[in-house]
Amino acid sequence: MTVDDVVLAANGDAAAFERVYHAHVPRVHGLARRMAGPEAADELTQDVFVRAWQKLGTFRGESSFGTWLHRLAVNVIVERFRTLGVARDRFLPDGEAVLDIAPAAPRSRPDLGMDLQVAIERLPPGARTIFVLHDVEGYRHEEIATMLGVSAGTSKSQLHRARQALRQTLNADRPQMGRGRATDGPQMGRR
Amino acid sequence: MTQIAQIGDGGGGNGRRRGPAEDDPLGHDDPLLQAIEALADAPPERSLWPGIESRMARRPGAARSFTFTLPQLAMAATLTIAVSAGVSWLAMRPAPATPEAAIRAVAEPTDAVQGDVQRATFADAAYDAAVADLEQVLQEGRDTLDPQTVMVLERNLAAIDEAIRQSRAALDADPANTYLNSHLADARRRKLELLRQAALLSNAGEM
Repeated sequence: MTVDDVVLAANGDAAAFERVYHAHVPRVHGLARRMAGPEAADELTQDVFVRAWQKLGTFRGESSFGTWLHRLAVNVIVERFRTLGVARDRFLPDGEAVLDIAPAAPRSRPDLGMDLQVAIERLPPGARTIFVLHDVEGYRHEEIATMLGVSAGTSKSQLHRARQALRQTLNADRPQMGRGRATDGPQMGRR
Repeated sequence: MTQIAQIGDGGGGNGRRRGPAEDDPLGHDDPLLQAIEALADAPPERSLWPGIESRMARRPGAARSFTFTLPQLAMAATLTIAVSAGVSWLAMRPAPATPEAAIRAVAEPTDAVQGDVQRATFADAAYDAAVADLEQVLQEGRDTLDPQTVMVLERNLAAIDEAIRQSRAALDADPANTYLNSHLADARRRKLELLRQAALLSNAGEM
């Protein structure tokens, strides 16, 4: 895929858009899978590219195409949550202390990223969305709060507990990995 | 290993920082951070392109050339219904028994009016053939259109057909009414134009 393909696609060249699709589909699908779960990832990915095709005329090149597409993908996924009317219900009450995530059976596969992928998919949906947006995609709490229609405090608390749950899961899967070294929260000596 | 990995824009990257945002970072030695950095993006197990391609009903470039948007079409339908209802009501209500009306009736014999004002036929063979052809094109291409677009088009066509029906009914009672005649002609013109636009949309979807 080249920058020219984006220009060609914006002018209605479907073949160029197919090249754009192939170049970006792993990233978009990964985002959809982490945010919405594997069962919804395919359909959401298709929604994102159909929307991108329809909106390409609005892409002005002020940011990279990848950044534009990524933001559009996040919007499509969050919009889906809103459409389903589950955005707020997906978050655990702030007072709830423990995420109910059973450790997976120990595996011999030495794939840290894959372990985390599986653990993310087992998070409660709201905590999963916030963890992905903040810790994987790099959105700040204020941005997440705006996107999801929750408070920044909710975003922080959900992230904190998502991190705890993920560490528990990862440590259960990998007893040798980082036990006792994990830190979270300002009181625990982050850099 | 850096905490925030910069993803390039080529090869499927997104140009956005990847990793925890700076407002709530993870420690460098946090195993969770290492796991995040090890996350990999893989393509879906099945090709999603056919499903996307089938939904690409409109080319961006072509879409910009159309003059109607869905809200405009919806508003046009509403306007058509409102105007039709208003004109029909005006035409069908009993004429006021005013002195002016009586004077006009004497001064303008009915035969003379009917002789000067022709009922808007527009129902000639050429018009009917054009409508039939466009309806055929639309029917053949409806699968290429977005379902919402089809829904709006059908709703608007139904509204225009209703306007035509009401105009005809009113003209049966008052054949010489110039307002009704022009309204009927306008409704039929609108129907032809809407069908043309719909056919263009469906053709664009097939490209």
